[in-house]
This record gives sequence, structure tokens and C-alpha cells, in this order.
Amino acid sequence: MLTVKNMTLRFGELIANNNVNMEIPDNKIVALIGPNGAGKTTCFNCISGVYTPNEGDIILNDVSIIGKRPCKIHNLGISRTYQIVNLFAEMTVIENVVVAMHDSLKSNFFDSMFHTKKHREEEKAAYERAYELLEFVELQDKAYFEAGSLPYGEQRLLEIVRALAGNPSILLLDEPAAGMNSKEKGDLDIIIKKIMQRMNLSVLMVEHDMDLVMGISDYVYVLNYGKLLAHGTPDEIQQNPDVIEAYLGGDD
Amino acid sequence: MVIQLLVAALLTGSIYGLIALGYSLIYRASGIMNLAQGDLMCLGGFMGYTFYNILGLPIFGAMLCTMVSMFLIGCVLERIVVRPIFNRNVSSSALILATVAVSYIVQSLELVIWGGAPLNMKSFLKVQTITFLGVSYQTESLLCIGVALLCMLTLHIFMKKSSFGIAMRAAAMDPIAARSCGINVDQTNRITWAISTSVAGLAGILVGPLYGITTTLGTAMSTKGFASAVVGGYGDMYGALLGGGVLAALETFAAGYLSSSLKQLVAYVAVLIVLFIKPRGLLNVEAVKD
Repeated sequence: MLTVKNMTLRFGELIANNNVNMEIPDNKIVALIGPNGAGKTTCFNCISGVYTPNEGDIILNDVSIIGKRPCKIHNLGISRTYQIVNLFAEMTVIENVVVAMHDSLKSNFFDSMFHTKKHREEEKAAYERAYELLEFVELQDKAYFEAGSLPYGEQRLLEIVRALAGNPSILLLDEPAAGMNSKEKGDLDIIIKKIMQRMNLSVLMVEHDMDLVMGISDYVYVLNYGKLLAHGTPDEIQQNPDVIEAYLGGDD
Repeated sequence: MVIQLLVAALLTGSIYGLIALGYSLIYRASGIMNLAQGDLMCLGGFMGYTFYNILGLPIFGAMLCTMVSMFLIGCVLERIVVRPIFNRNVSSSALILATVAVSYIVQSLELVIWGGAPLNMKSFLKVQTITFLGVSYQTESLLCIGVALLCMLTLHIFMKKSSFGIAMRAAAMDPIAARSCGINVDQTNRITWAISTSVAGLAGILVGPLYGITTTLGTAMSTKGFASAVVGGYGDMYGALLGGGVLAALETFAAGYLSSSLKQLVAYVAVLIVLFIKPRGLLNVEAVKD
């Protein structure tokens, strides 16, 4: 379970996140929505350690993760994807997955340099698991393609798989449907649910596609001007007058 | 004569290539050119001299000790010079200036420790030449080429196959994404500096019998290595090696067939031509994308 408590982040005068409180229970899909510039991605950046909030706390399974480095937070079980696909384009599909595995950095530099037996075994296991993860999104046949050569929709899926490689308990998806065609969006719906169930994790997602959000979320938080405007089940949010006002009056 | 020239070109080329490799690796990792690369190479030469001539280690032992020492020096350099400046988010020119400072400091230290007179490395092998198919070769050159190629091959396998190597490439390609994949980018950067320094050190030993070791050699070799890296495609590991080979071949053949006073002219006119035709270098991936 992930808890965000009274989190505030300022950039000089600007308050990007103002006293945000959120709770992401185990095995749930939670959405974070709001007009452009509401501070959603900033909130992701705080949780994943890119920014350190000025105030408040972020707690993952009873452990405060605030102020920890991004690589540390990843290893503690929070993985993310990006709004704009952020793959290692010149590496193969499977290398992109292997690179994000915990084990991949366990054997140290010297094991790696001299190719010890322990290292070779770890590596074999890593590639096998990466292959299994790719089967999840049906990318196994393209394992040795260069990541940058995949169509955009598949790049997004690969980014999700890469995020799964670290065995996270929380998966942060930043606009997973952006740039996907309608068929890919439809499939994404099923893929996210499948991931949540099979990998036994929770999803926190920022998304503008309301059909997707209302269709799969268990709970929705609405952010506006850096502040929480409302939260509730998808039905409650769709009825909420403040939310309707923010969306109609906003620039979205 | 062609074959002898080819061997000479390969020898010089592998030395240029090793220096260029350091430039490119560091550029990918830290986004700057490390102008201390040539002087670090020299430092490697002096260390090699110490291990081989003074302490009397066998040649491969001396090479290994030099590479390990230089690896550690690279770590320290990254930790106490590069990292503190890099973390302040200053412009890259400040960081480049820091590497210039390092290069002069290294030079001065060499002068203090080993003195200003050129040092001559003992020859690496007892047998000076071998004859094969009617052509005689200098065994030392062949040994140096072999060692350089072995080093490049090891590095290639390390970068392509090992998970640490993959992590290093990932960190160089996109540090932000790499961090969110759990890669300790500070650590991969440090190892990158260490490897570059270590490889430059190896080049320093190999240069020993060729030119002798002096404190002033660094500056000249620094330029050659930089030119090789840019011609090959700045930031590309294989481009660096190719660039080293091309530059060395131009120099060697111009010296052999025309005159040694013309070798720089020919080589650097050719460098300019490459820059006109392929401004991003022979092997730069970004050039394909643009």
C-alpha cells in the first residue's frame, strides 16, 4: 500500500503540489486525473524520487521513501512509465527489460567483467524471466529487435514491461494510452487488469482518456491547480459538480 | 612495404583508438570531453615504466598493474573532481575546464615524480623480429596490436553481454530512465571514468617503446585521440576505434609514400573532408536518425 500524506512541492513561488493526500490500496487500480498543468506528473515525480517534496511524507508498506534516490525507490518496489516514451532506443527489446531487473545489478562489476559462473547463471535466469514478461504483452517474437524500431503502441507496452521487470508492488503509469490508436487503447484496458491480477500489484495511473479511466479504475483522485479537488469512485467523480466545472472551465 | 606500413598503421591506430575510446565513453556518460585523456595516457606510460623497468615485473603483469592502478585513479578522479562539479549543474564548460586543470596537475606530478627527461621502456620481448612469408615484422608491434585488440574485444563483450555493461549503456543513453529502472547512475558513471582512464593507461604502456615516455607526449596524443573520436562519430565506441584506425592509416601511408613532413597535412585535410561530408562522424547513430 502506498500512502501520500500532506505532500507539498514548491518551485519558488509556484506551488506545484499543495497538501496532496492519496491512498493506493493493494491490488487496486487508482487514477489521477485533472486538467493540463494540474500537477499530476509532478506528483509522479515526487513519488518516484525525481523531486523531493518540501513537506509531507510518502509511505510504501510502512516505510517512508521520501528523499530516497530514484534507483533506490525502484528497488523498493515502485516502477513507472513516462508520458513520452522513454525507452533505450538503441538497445534490443529484451535488453530494455533485463536492464530493469533487480538481479541485474546484484553481481558486481568484477563478476560481470570476468564473466564468473554465478554471473552467467544469474544472467540466464534474467533473460528467461524477461522473455516471460514479454509474452505478457505478446512482444516475445520481437525480443531481439531494436526497441526504437517498434511501432509506437508497442513501445508503450515495452515500457510497461520494463517497469514490471523490477517486480514492483506499485506501478505508476503516466498517460499509458497517449498516442495509441483505438484498438490499442481497447487492448490496454485488458492488459492493465491482467497485469494487476497476475503480478499482484497496484496501479496508479495518470490518464486523459476518460473511457479508459472510468472503465478500469477502482478509485479516482482529481487534481486541480496542484490541489486535490475531489476523490471517489468513478461514478461519484462523474457526478461531482466541482469536477465537471474544472473540466469545462479548464483548458482541457 | 605495404604490409609493414599496415602493421605500423594498425599499431598507431590501436593506440589512437584506445585514447579515443575513453573520449567517447566519457562523452556518453557525462556529456563532456575529457581533455585530460592524453595526460592520463602518459601517466599510464610512467606507471608502466615503473612496474616494468624499475620493479621488473613481467610485461603482462606490468600492463595489468598499470590498468588496475589507472582504474582506481579514474574512480578517484570521478569522485573528487567530476562528481562535485557535475552535481552543481553548472555549464559543461566548467567541467571541461576541470579536466584541463586535471591534465596540468597530472603533468606536473609526473615531472616531480619521474623528472623531465624522456624515459625509454625496455623492449617487451627478447626476439625482436620474426619473418613470415618473406616479410619481417617487429614482434613488439604485433604484441601491442594484439593486446590493444584483446582489450577492445573484452570491452565489447563486457558492454554488450554483461548486465553491468548493459546498465552502463542504458545510463549513458538516458540517465533519467535508467534511474527509474533502478540503475545507480552515479556508480555506472564512475565505472565509465575508471574504464576510460584504465584503457588510456594501457595505451600509455603501448606507446612506450614507440615514442618513449615524456610529460609532453600527452598533449599531442590527446589531440589525436580526440580527432579519432570525432571522425569516427563522437560518443560511439566502435566509431572511436574506426576513427583511430583511419587517422593512423592516413598518417602512416602519407609518411610512407610521400614524406613524413606531409603526414599531418594529409591526415588533417582528410579529417576536414570527413567533417564536411559527415559532420557527425563516420559511425554516428544520431546521424542516421536525423
